[in-house]
Amino acid sequence: MVKSTITRAAHATPEPVAARVRGLSDRAIAWIFVAPTLFLLLAVNIFPLIWTIRLSFTNYRVNRPNRDIEWIGLRNYERILTDADVWQTMQATAHFLIWTIVLQVLIGFALAWLINSKFRSSNFWTTVIVLPMMLSPAVVGNFWTFLYQPQIGLFNHAVAFFTGVDPASFSMIGDVHLAPWAIVIADTWMWTPFVMLICLAGLRSIPASIYEAAECDRASKWRQFWTITVPMVLPFLMLAVLFRGIENFKMFDLVVQLTGGGPGNTTTLTSIDLKREAFERWRTGYASAYAVILFVTVFGLASIYVKALNKVKER
Amino acid sequence: MAEVTLSGVTVRYGTTTALDALDLHVPDGAFMVLLGPTGAGKTTTLRAVSGLTRPDAGEVRIGGQEVTGLTPAQRNVAMVFQQYSLYPHLTVRENLEFPLKSPLLRTPRDAMAQKVTRVAETLQIAHKLDNKATALSGGEMQRVSIGRALVRDPVAYLMDEPLSSLDAKLRADLRIELKSIQADSGATILYVTHDQIEAMTMATHVGVLDEGRLVQTGTPREIYEDPVSIYAASRLGLPRINILPADLFGTAPPGARSIGLRPEQIRQGEGQDARVTRVERLGDQTRLHLNFRDHDIVTVTDPHTALRRGDVVAIAPHRPFFFAADGARIRA
Repeated sequence: MVKSTITRAAHATPEPVAARVRGLSDRAIAWIFVAPTLFLLLAVNIFPLIWTIRLSFTNYRVNRPNRDIEWIGLRNYERILTDADVWQTMQATAHFLIWTIVLQVLIGFALAWLINSKFRSSNFWTTVIVLPMMLSPAVVGNFWTFLYQPQIGLFNHAVAFFTGVDPASFSMIGDVHLAPWAIVIADTWMWTPFVMLICLAGLRSIPASIYEAAECDRASKWRQFWTITVPMVLPFLMLAVLFRGIENFKMFDLVVQLTGGGPGNTTTLTSIDLKREAFERWRTGYASAYAVILFVTVFGLASIYVKALNKVKER
Repeated sequence: MAEVTLSGVTVRYGTTTALDALDLHVPDGAFMVLLGPTGAGKTTTLRAVSGLTRPDAGEVRIGGQEVTGLTPAQRNVAMVFQQYSLYPHLTVRENLEFPLKSPLLRTPRDAMAQKVTRVAETLQIAHKLDNKATALSGGEMQRVSIGRALVRDPVAYLMDEPLSSLDAKLRADLRIELKSIQADSGATILYVTHDQIEAMTMATHVGVLDEGRLVQTGTPREIYEDPVSIYAASRLGLPRINILPADLFGTAPPGARSIGLRPEQIRQGEGQDARVTRVERLGDQTRLHLNFRDHDIVTVTDPHTALRRGDVVAIAPHRPFFFAADGARIRA
């Protein structure tokens, strides 16, 4: 009799193991395989989420574990949403988010366009341009503090060179009006390459023969750009914006290193504020409510955006 | 419409020479088919005429005017690409309207709709006008691609295997349609194909290309009945011409290395005996595979022949072609 692999495997199984496995249904075995992953997922993702939501309705403080926990209903949410300081951080975040995305999309697309025109050494320049992305955000934040130094900073001297103002007359980090732009510039410097890479992938996905057809159909370069390049790169670009949007909504490390949220709280983004509430003022219940609000906001915005993205892809 | 002339056009891609000082004249209103195997330079010829490829040497003239340095838009030629090259995010209608929307034309809206509808009906894609270009079958894409050229009134049409991915029925329909469009409008068409039926039925002129050079031009009949070389003779004719040692059937003219026999140049029932190795019944014709002195010969016989494998049939050459060692024809 020819034995199949399965029968041979069954015969090779040691008797104690075989006895335990025997009689289990396929479904039971499937559960055994999935259980470890499922358990981990519940432990590190689902449980903390539910626990946070639970804490957000209490006045719990993690640094006073012996105090009685009081249920205070929606009071935390009420206080957050009516707090002018919180709205100030929301505004700072919106400013940061919108301008970084606008600048990174414009510059990233333009760079991708240039690189894609395949001049000599374009591969070398791609590598050079992508370098900032490979650095640690904390490192980038730290050395931009030097670049922004009024006396010795390269940035101030560059601005002085082009505009003629005294380099020591302004401080990107110290000025209330300039600091929000300081973090926008640093983040743009670091993450434009990411947008560029994705745009480049989009541009390279357009077959050359489509441009040739348009060329024969007597479409101008301008029309080719708007009727072929832009629509065909748009799904890629929107994906880049989604990634950058989510990343920058929770921006923390680079800004903390660069400005520490100051001057005042002009560059205190929501995640920095949240961290202070949770781990400096130790208002755990309040911070939980804060986190839930941010989670719902990001999740809601991202869902709407993904719907729009899918529409663009279907076009 | 206009005549197209290439003189001494050379195109190199890196170290390979795609066109080698090509001279080609397409008369006004001609339907010229370019024949040749892959790599012979057919597509490159179209690209040089369209302006997509700038020649390294030589000049291109359209309607007597030198256009070598001009862009495709300035030349006003329409091209049908082998790989369709539709605008994927646009509908079929928008694809067909695309060339009409060129600022160089400024087509009024009504005229545009009219033209698009007419072309769509000709190509049997009227029911697909509002579909996305990506939601079409290969054959439909190819028809949209042809339609995009037909909506215009260019000085010349350049078509690169436009019927290659259509099914047999549609191909036959469009062959007739393209031919009648050309006959009605007097358009100059430069057409690349591998299909010899297309070449024989549609062409007013045939150009045979070999490694970037023009080997022979003439009407399809001239190329078929009076080829200049083995290479040119092999481009037309199904089954292909049989090339055999020159002295296989007896005496040959001095210098002849090979004898070329098309099916109609083989008389059956007289001469020397050959053995039937296979009988292929294709319906309207029957192909006869013969073995003659250890050489294989393919010819055509009566569709209802009673011949079977192993039978013996006498064959004799009838006004054959003779070719020299370099493949050139030796004329009697």
